Amino acid sequence: MSHKFLETESPAWVAEGIITEAQRERLLARYPPEAVQAVGLLPLLGSILVGLSALSVVAANWPSLPTALRLGLLLGSLLAAYAGGEYFLRRGNRRLGHGLIGLGLVLFGVSIILTSQLYQLVGYDVSGLLAWVVVGVLLSYLYNSQALTLLPIIIGAAVQTYCTQALGLFSYATVGLVALGGGYRWWRRPHPVVASVLAVGLLWQAALWVALSHSKITWFFIPAMLVYAAGDWHRDRPAARALQGPPLVAAYLFALGLALFGETDQYAGLLRPPVLAYLGALAAVFALSVLGKRQLGRLASLPDWLLLLPGFYLPGGLPLAVATLVVLYAHAGSVLARAHRSGEAEQLTLGTVLFVVATMVAYFKLTWAFLDKSLFFLIGGVLLLSLSWYLRRRNAQRLAAGVASTVGATPALPSSSENGPAR
Amino acid sequence: MLTRSTPSHRLLLRLLVAAQVLYVLGVAGAGYATTAYGRHIALATQPVDLHGLQYESFVRLRYTAAEAPLTAWRGASPPQRRQAVYVLLAPGPDSLATVAGVYAQEPKPTADQAVLRGWVTDVYPRTLGLRYNLERYYVPGDSPLRLAKTGPPLRVQVSIAPWGQARIEAVRALRR
Repeated sequence: MSHKFLETESPAWVAEGIITEAQRERLLARYPPEAVQAVGLLPLLGSILVGLSALSVVAANWPSLPTALRLGLLLGSLLAAYAGGEYFLRRGNRRLGHGLIGLGLVLFGVSIILTSQLYQLVGYDVSGLLAWVVVGVLLSYLYNSQALTLLPIIIGAAVQTYCTQALGLFSYATVGLVALGGGYRWWRRPHPVVASVLAVGLLWQAALWVALSHSKITWFFIPAMLVYAAGDWHRDRPAARALQGPPLVAAYLFALGLALFGETDQYAGLLRPPVLAYLGALAAVFALSVLGKRQLGRLASLPDWLLLLPGFYLPGGLPLAVATLVVLYAHAGSVLARAHRSGEAEQLTLGTVLFVVATMVAYFKLTWAFLDKSLFFLIGGVLLLSLSWYLRRRNAQRLAAGVASTVGATPALPSSSENGPAR
Repeated sequence: MLTRSTPSHRLLLRLLVAAQVLYVLGVAGAGYATTAYGRHIALATQPVDLHGLQYESFVRLRYTAAEAPLTAWRGASPPQRRQAVYVLLAPGPDSLATVAGVYAQEPKPTADQAVLRGWVTDVYPRTLGLRYNLERYYVPGDSPLRLAKTGPPLRVQVSIAPWGQARIEAVRALRR
């Protein structure tokens, strides 16, 4: 609570008899002004500025420094960062220690790049930078730090980007290291942030693979849904959902794109991989996901897979667009139904938004060509307003009913309503 | 998993850091070894644009060997953009290398030829655009290029190591 807030508000509390004057003073003493913290930041800011000045001196004179000195500077700062990190860890300052070790890892990559530059040396495979990913993964196992777990995932994505863009080849070693190294780490010590970043990093590499191999973009969803299926096997619910978020978002955006542009057969034609191979692979991943869901009793989330229905094999044109719309509605409906059962407010909001988006797409598709434009916007606006009113009313009723039934069922334990669903 | 700073933990970190230092030194060693054991060729460039030197530490080189006639293509299927290729270089007039062929598979060079790896950037009706990843030249602080007013065509000395790396050894103005 901020001191300023207390200072301005508390006289009124005393006047209204909520607290006494003595209590007010005790409260004020309990939350001292925050000037002390700002002063604590000064040494940090100062050292950052000093560091920046050293860095800019070196950077400005970099090309004219002798080769040996440049190499020495790189290795010296690398060693200093690791030594500093270990020193602070031993003194118990974990955050600074891990930060410095992360800096050492970044400096290792910088050293590889700048040393190759120093000798105007080019390689034709990824082996030069692969060492960076290997060291990153090893370091993330050596320390119990979230930042050091995220770093190799990001480094892997960067190395893969360079590899595909500049060298024109895909490094399976890099994606394997990130998937196994980061994945095992997520499996043992689940954390939502690590899970989301890991999923995004792997999806990025999958997208690079699709772009490089000139495959149909729908192949992207095989690795993406493998990431999703991995989430189905994890016992920790939040970490599993965090891993599944990015693949689901990608699948949803894809379905939305299909509903919007699927009419032109040209676009749909870009999406059709060989039927048997694609459907076989997708079915295998689906089976994996269903098994995981059944094992852990999460079959309720099965409608997520609606988004993956391969509607693009339908002939392009109106049938495809309408079929995709039906799928979007079914998906939004399933999210809403699940939210009503579990009574989670966030899921309700999500379901509502999905439902509104599907309605907007449907309206746009079906009426843009037939209506006068002003009428189009007018009717669309009225439709959305009435829809939002209806959904909000319904949600409020359902939530209130859910809370009441939970409290009513177990009057001795009023806190159980926070714990979730009443079956 | 180790969480605290135990002696064995510290030993592991030291080994890992030592490996990183050795690796960076290895990269530097590969630079020297490429010169020592590599095959040396000279490539000519178009006149370079020196304006970029005000903002960046490198200039972009446009090699004359960056364009090859489509008749030089030796591959089973037609060349594709971004495809990795092997460029067979033969010494031409003034000992500057010229493109003798662009291969999809690694060819066997004769004694005076060299193979440089590259990528197809564009496929035109009659020619191929090529890229060698040697297009960025980091100009040293004492190079005459830093004082020059106009960018001359350059003669770029390249060495190609038997294990596949390549480096720019020296760059000087091309005398015509």
